[in-house]
Formats: sequence, C-alpha cells, structure tokens
Amino acid sequence: MKITEKKALKRESIIQTALQLFSLKGFHKTTIPDIAEKLQMSVGNLYNYFSSKDILAKEIIKYTSEVLGNEIKTVNMLDVSSEEKIKKIVELYFRMAEENPERIEYFLRVYLANREVFHDGCEGMTCVSGFVTEIMIFFDDGVSSGELRDQDFFSAFGLFMGYLGGMVFLNGEEMLTKDIGEYTDDISRNIYAALKA
Amino acid sequence: MTSQTSYKPKLLWLQSITCNGNTHSFLNHPDLASILSHFELVYHPVLETPFDIEEMARGELECDILILEGSFREEGFTRGRVEVSKILEAYAKKAKHIISAGTCATFGGIFKEYDPENISGFCFNVEERTERYEMYASKLISLPGCPIHPKWLSYVLLMMLKDKHIPIDELHRPQELYGITVHTGCARNEYFEWKIDTKGFGLKEGCLFYEQGCQGPYTRGSCNKILWNDTSSKTIVGTPCFGCTEPSFPKTALFSTKTNMGIPATMPLGVPRRAYLTATGIAKSFKIKRLEERIITYDS
Amino acid sequence: MIVRELIEKIEGEAELDFTFNEGKIEDVRISFAFYRGIEEILVGKDARDALVITPRVCGICNHAHLIAAVKTIENGYENAGLKVELSNKAKAIREFTLSCELMQNHMTWFYMTILPQLEKLLGEASGENHALKASYFSSTITKAMSIFAGQWPHSSYAVPGGVTCDPTYVDVMQAENLVDESIRFYEEMVIGMPIDKYLEIDSNAFLYDLDGDLARVLQLIGMNEMADIGQSHDRFIAFGDSTLFKAGKSMKTRVYSVDANYVEESVQQGTVAKAVTYKHKLYEVGPLARAMVSKEPMVKRLHKCYKDSILTRVFARVHEVALLLSHSKELLQNLRLDEPSCSLGKELIVPDFEGVGAVEAARGSLIHKTTVKEGLIENYEIIVPTQWNLSHGDDRENGIAIEAMVGSSSTEEATFIFRTFDVCSVCTAQ
Repeated sequence: MKITEKKALKRESIIQTALQLFSLKGFHKTTIPDIAEKLQMSVGNLYNYFSSKDILAKEIIKYTSEVLGNEIKTVNMLDVSSEEKIKKIVELYFRMAEENPERIEYFLRVYLANREVFHDGCEGMTCVSGFVTEIMIFFDDGVSSGELRDQDFFSAFGLFMGYLGGMVFLNGEEMLTKDIGEYTDDISRNIYAALKA
Repeated sequence: MTSQTSYKPKLLWLQSITCNGNTHSFLNHPDLASILSHFELVYHPVLETPFDIEEMARGELECDILILEGSFREEGFTRGRVEVSKILEAYAKKAKHIISAGTCATFGGIFKEYDPENISGFCFNVEERTERYEMYASKLISLPGCPIHPKWLSYVLLMMLKDKHIPIDELHRPQELYGITVHTGCARNEYFEWKIDTKGFGLKEGCLFYEQGCQGPYTRGSCNKILWNDTSSKTIVGTPCFGCTEPSFPKTALFSTKTNMGIPATMPLGVPRRAYLTATGIAKSFKIKRLEERIITYDS
Repeated sequence: MIVRELIEKIEGEAELDFTFNEGKIEDVRISFAFYRGIEEILVGKDARDALVITPRVCGICNHAHLIAAVKTIENGYENAGLKVELSNKAKAIREFTLSCELMQNHMTWFYMTILPQLEKLLGEASGENHALKASYFSSTITKAMSIFAGQWPHSSYAVPGGVTCDPTYVDVMQAENLVDESIRFYEEMVIGMPIDKYLEIDSNAFLYDLDGDLARVLQLIGMNEMADIGQSHDRFIAFGDSTLFKAGKSMKTRVYSVDANYVEESVQQGTVAKAVTYKHKLYEVGPLARAMVSKEPMVKRLHKCYKDSILTRVFARVHEVALLLSHSKELLQNLRLDEPSCSLGKELIVPDFEGVGAVEAARGSLIHKTTVKEGLIENYEIIVPTQWNLSHGDDRENGIAIEAMVGSSSTEEATFIFRTFDVCSVCTAQ
C-alpha cells in the first residue's frame, strides 16, 4: 500500500474516532490527547495530520459533507424521477442516522451550535459544499425536467434539509415512537408534495 | 508597398433575406480603404461597382470570394429579379472561397423564425448540415454574429488574400475569433469571479450573468477582445450578451437569466455543473468589501 | 407607355413602374416584393425581446428602432398606471446616441448615394472616392455612440427606465473629442467653413458661396436647372419629440399639433409596403419635414424659393447634420453623471399593457405599437418613415414621392428624385 493511501486511511480513522468521542463526551470536553490515546498514536503524530482541534473540527465537517454528498451524487446520477430521488435521499439520510449517527449529530450539535469555531475558514457554504452542491444539482434537474416547482433555492433547501435535520434531532433525543427508517415514506411524500410543480 | 502588380481577388457580396446589418458594419471598418485596395469589388449592395444588380443576378460575373449575407429559401426570394438560390448556385460553384457573413447566412438567425421550415443558413440549418454543406464545405468560412464585427471579416479576407490556412472548428468558424467566449476580457470579470450580481441595470459594478441574462460565459465570440467600433462592447456598457453568434440565436427572455431554483440553467462553456456550483458556493461565502461598493462617487 | 425599372442601393431594392404620357411621367407604381415578417416573429416573445429583435428590421437605422421600442414599453407601463421617470442623464444619453445614428445615416446617404448618383446622372464624375469619406465619418461618429451604447449596429442598451451604461468623465471626454473630430470633418469636407459661421448664415445667397461637397451638390443641381424639380404636396409631419425636434405637422408653412392615435396603416395592392396616413391625408416625413415643423430658418429660407423641391430636400438632410453636431456637443457638455442611469428594476414590471412609441429616425417618424399580455407580445406594429413617403395615394392625390416624380421626363431623373427621399427598402418591407 502506498504511503499516501496509508496516510489517507489514518486521517480517516482519526476523523472517525474524533466523531465518536465528540458524540460520547461532547465537543468541548473531548481533547486531542483523548483522541490520540483512543487511536494509540502519539499526540505529536496526530498534530502532523491536524495541527489544531479547530482545524480538525473543520476538516471533519468537510469530510462528512463529502461522504453525504457522494451518496446523494449516486442518487442524482440515477435515471429516475425526482419523486423517486427524494425517497432515496431521505432513505440514505435516515440510514446514516441509524448506522453512523455521530456524523449527522456532529453537523447538528457541533457545526450548527459552535459558529465561533467555524467562522474563520468555514465561511458560509465553504466546508459543506460537497453536500450542498449535490442538493443544488438535485433541484436543478428537478426544475429543468418540470417535476419540481421553480422557487427560491433557500426556501426549498430549508424545507428539505431542515425537515430531515429536525427528524434526526428528534431521533437523537429518543422522542420518535418508531425507528427513524419507518418515517421514510411519509417524510418523502410530504417533501415531494411541497416541492412538486 | 502596394499590390499594384499582384492579383486582386474578385469579391462579390450577395445579399439574401437580411437587414443589411453586416454590410453596414463592414463599411464602418476603420481601415476600409486599405482593405478594399487589395481586392476587386465585382458587386456590392452599397458601394459603386462596375456591374449593377441585374448583371450580377445573371450569375455570369467572375468571382473568387463570395460573401453571403442573409438567410436563404429555395424559392420565393429574388435579387435583381432572379431567385437567390439560383444566383447562389452559380457563384458558389465558381468561387474559391465562400464566407457566410452573419448569423442569418450561417445558421438561419432571426429571419428563419418567420418560416422555420423553409428558411435556413447557407450550409447550416441551425446546427444541422444542409444539402449544400456537402458541396461547399471545403470552401466555407462561417462568420456568425448579429451583425459581424468588421474586423472578423477583414481578418478572413486578408488571410484568403495571402493564401494562409484559417484554423476552423466543426461549424467552420475561425478559431482565432470564436475559440474564446464573449466572457473573455469582459470589464466585469472580477464581479463574475466573486459572484456579485449587478442588481438591475445602469451600474458599471456587478456581473450580468446571474440575473440579467448575459450569455457571455457560454457564447463563442471575441467581442471583449476585439472591441466594437474599436471602443466598447455590450457588457462594458452594461447590456447582457444575447448570444448572437450561436446557432440558437435568438433565444427568448433575453434580459433575464433562466434559473432553476436560482441555479443558472446554462453553465459557462465547458464548465461541468458540479465544478461551477462548488466554486460558486465557495465564492459566495465570502464578502469582498471592495467589490460590494461603488467605485466612484461624484459630488452633486 | 409603362417603363419598369429595378432600383437598387436603397437599403435593398424596389420595382418602379413609370407611366409615361407624351414624354413625361404621369404616374409611378412602387412595389416591394419581400416581407421578412419581424412583426410576426415578435408575437409570443417576452416584451423586452423587442429591444433586441426590432433593431434587426434595419442594419442602418437599428438604433432608432431600439429607442422607439423602449419608448413603446415605457408608454405601455404609463398607460397601465406605473409612473416612469427617466433621469435627465438617461434622456440626454439616449438623445445623443440617436443623434449619432441620424448623422451617420445622412452622411452615408450623402456620400455613398446622392453625390455619386448625381455625378452619374449629370456625367460630372469627380474621380473622388466619396464612399471613403462616408466610412470615415461613420466610423468616427459611431465610436462616440458606442461609448454609451456598446456597439453600432445593433445596440440594445436602452431599457425601460433608462439606459444600461454608467459612463465616467473618461467616457464623456472621449465622446466629446470624437464629436469634435466629426465637426472638423463636416467643416472641411461638407461645408468648407467653420460650423458656427455656417449656422449664422442668414441669406440664401451665402449658400452659393459655400465650399465643400454640399456646395458642389447645390451647384450641380442649380446649374442643371434641377432646383425646382421633385416638388410634392408641401405637407410635412413629425411625431418624435426630443430637445431638438418638435412633433407637429406643417401645411403651407403653418404648424399644428399632432396625435399619434390618428395614424392609420392600410394594405396596398401589388406591394408588401403598407400605406400610412394621418387623418386620412398623406404627409412627407424626414429632415425636411422636421425643419418645416420646427421652423428651422435656413431651410425655411430655401423653401420660400424652391418649395419642397429636391434642392430643399437634399439641403435639409445635410443641414440637419450641422444642427445635430452642435446639439450633440451641448448634450455631452451638460451631462450630469451623478444621476442614475436607470430608474426601474430588472423585472418586467407590468405584465399587461398597450403602448405606442414615436421617434425621429434619420428618414422620418418611426412609430412602434404593441399589446402585451402576461409579459408576452400579443401584437406588434412597426410604421416606418419610408412608408409615409412612398404611400401610393389614391384617386384624390398621388403619394408624396410619386407626386415628386410626376412631370419628370426621364426615369434617370425620376430615380434621382426618388433617392432624395433616402428610401429604406428593408424598413418598408420589414
């Protein structure tokens, strides 16, 4: 295995471990030494990959956006209706909430809640572009095919993502009465009804 | 050194269904005298020539370079009392070079819209090749534009005069002129780079691509490199580019940008959508103060 | 006996059928064969697309169509209840660029058509390449125009509410310089004297002391006993208002006001050109008409002697360039750059409206009319200056240009008279 590939895997494992610890102990209470210890690597070595906790925080949001973005991209590339695509996006989002809850939790509880960490270096959409671009493409395709109504981007974005984020938040608080995956059909139908032409 | 002893190619300017815009644009060339000194003008719709329109229409004049202006129909349009399609046949065969001057002559343009079934460009009907393409493609140079810039035509004529090969694209447009976009060299480029829309008309600040319908980023042409009237261009004076060199000219709703949820429906030429959206998303995340402000303040 | 001639180099062609009786022309039928259909092409398009499409009626007077189109939309907005206020800056810039086109058109006509054709008619070839003089003037004045309008031909820089340009003093100084250069050309080539001195001429006698190409034309006409030919009904009209031109009609030198609602078009037999009348009467349009309506002294003095002959008509067109040059300088000097260029936003504000717009194009009054529903053009009408001058007339009286040609003893002379109207075939056949 090439050095660069090894480094990339190492980087990813740091990110995964950090995500888990942030989820368990909270963002502010988790330190770099905590993460290094969990990975059985030296703190100095960890600093070679991420030179500060803030930088790690920003890299994590970029990483999770890329991961989510790539999954949405796969849906975007399918030759199916926008209605179908909505369902698939909702599915993958809820699946991620079930299988890797720390990722969306990080977005909701760390990224959205600690703006002071992200304002310098993650201005606006800079660090979430991997994911936002795919949502834009989904909307662009839907409107140009005539299936979705042309409207202000942020109205549609807020509706779609705010809705999904809200459901995941409630799920995290253990307030939902069913498994989150069981909400897929209803949520998809609601979103489609709101966005369709 | 003049070309008194060297051969002067015979130029014939044939008009079909046109507004005469290309003729008048060319007559505006700042070096008209010296350009024309290299050629023998056999027939021209405005300038004095040895032959009148009826003599020209018989199809018997000599012709080295045929310049076509206007869109075509097989029958139902005459010049000098002869169907243009007949005159065309005669001269297109004789000519060493054929130039379709203007979007109408090249693709069909505005006048095609009156009778789309029967009116087209010379060798192209929008982007499809017509029957004439097979016969004349080897001699053809396409100069779309509504109208053409006089220097595009003089470039082609002088290259033909000197027997130089003109690199062309698949629609026979010279790459030196149409290989770039109208966006190249636009005075508002910085605003495009940072996605700052101009918010209405009448301001030198701001880009016209996001909302005002500017087609510059995906229109092939050199209007911001070879300036109009040696001085200016549409986008310099705050008018959006209408894509007049393209086969699709004219599109509709020319003063507003077609968007899908705020995303431009047409991307800059050759730029993949994901690349554009990613770059745009990042650029939009930053506020560049200097570019948000007006450049000049005049005391009242 | 009917002699049919194909006339070319009138921004296209026309067929003229001259009816001769005892060696003199007693009637002329003018026909244009091809209709390009711009009015139909506009139907169904976004209302503002008219600013791009209507200039393509004509490659030489496209700017006039642009200004007429934008005024039509603005008039439509006003009819629908929206107040449209243009800043003085926007108005002045529009007037300036339109004036540049008028000047370009007149000089092109003078040097590429009238002077060569007159020399040919009289066998008085000067050997000069007059066309290049026109090209020089044209490229200079259109440079000044493009500083504000972006390009010539086919600018679309006038939008509802004003103009798209936001000029600086760098731009204005450059434009002034180009106007000065155009004045210098006019002084050296056309009138042979300083323009200020020229505009102070207060007697017809001094016109014959002019030097330059205008003098040459006047002398050729005078010396060949053509000063009185080409007279018509001596009835003039102008609809476009500006700081230089006034709207109105002039009959027997008395001036009255006009209302564009009384303009009527009608189909004519044997030609795609429609006739136009004002309150069922025929009128001449163009520089001579404008001069008579605004009572321009130098033209009126000539008119007193020669009525609406070719001498007066040709003089009026060339003279108008002097007026426009001097007026353009003033417009630039008084430009206030701190005023806004455009007072309306980028959206089409009113979805349903009916509007009319009139401007003075080079050849005369140009009128556009439109009905717009839900932002799309339902109907668009374009009435061009040449339609006025070339209307056939009826049993009661001949059309303007026809009346001018009647009485001539040769088709060559009659054709020259025809050309003094600066006929535009593409506009007429739209």
